[in-house]
Amino acid sequence: MRAEILALILGMTAVTYIPRAIPAVLTDKLHFRARVEKFLKLIPFTAMSALVFPSIFFVDESHPYIGVIGGLAAIVLAWRKLPLAVTVLGSIGAVMVVYLIGQ
Amino acid sequence: MIFGFIPVGIAYGIMAQQAGLLGGETIAMSIFVFAGASQMMAVGMYGQGAGFAAIILATLMLNLRHLIMSTCVMNRIKPCGIGFKLLAAFGVTDESFALFTTESESRATPWFFLGLITVTYTSWVTGSFLGAIAATLLPSILSASLGIALYAMFIGLMIPGVRENFHLGFLVVLTAVVNSALSQVIPFSWALILSTLLCAGVGVVFVSLNEEETEEL
Repeated sequence: MRAEILALILGMTAVTYIPRAIPAVLTDKLHFRARVEKFLKLIPFTAMSALVFPSIFFVDESHPYIGVIGGLAAIVLAWRKLPLAVTVLGSIGAVMVVYLIGQ
Repeated sequence: MIFGFIPVGIAYGIMAQQAGLLGGETIAMSIFVFAGASQMMAVGMYGQGAGFAAIILATLMLNLRHLIMSTCVMNRIKPCGIGFKLLAAFGVTDESFALFTTESESRATPWFFLGLITVTYTSWVTGSFLGAIAATLLPSILSASLGIALYAMFIGLMIPGVRENFHLGFLVVLTAVVNSALSQVIPFSWALILSTLLCAGVGVVFVSLNEEETEEL
């Protein structure tokens, strides 16, 4: 292990753990009203949507359609209530097929 | 479910090798940091020659969303002791947060979360290990295709909720549009945090959650 990488890993550990731990320490002091509770329940969906879009279109920088096809495959599979693992593997499979055809 | 996380770990392992990290360094990062999106971003930046401060600052900004996610998780395991919460905090990731907070109230127990982080942590470290050793062995088409895994997982987590609730679906589309527009004008990690909070705030006004309604009665 190189010293610069060790420093990087330790620094990243700190800046990753601290934001996760702050709510653990403060949560007892916080009491949420119904509206705030609803806000907190909607965040999973807005956060995931923002994590996917627009990044999915840059999954292959030079071919935006790769993200579109992988994303559509995931939507169709999840809509059919298939397990998460099938959705993920199916999406990977769809992208592989497109790469194979493109060769 | 485990199989959903391993491909993302493999994708990270391969990216880290391509960026010039050693095998041990690749796995150590997964053991200590345990944050998929941040690690992928960090090794990407390292590969492009970014410095220590830039990588740390970008990681911090990308992880500010965990402040919100951890608040949601902690709110659901409120009765637990501080020791348990500090342990659970280490396991708050996009994936564990999404799985835990979309689960019904009765199933989302502290023990369920502990099981969830055990599985996600183990598969993350295992996936990173496999990616690190397989980077040179895997066909290039397979390694290129693994990049979609992270997004497919988020889509797979969102759809069940969206399918049952039209307003929630509209909110997800709205967030996608807002974040895509914001990303054009401000840095990616800030756009992510801003659109997450802004759209959830707007959603409070027009989305009705069945679970929520019964709780209020």
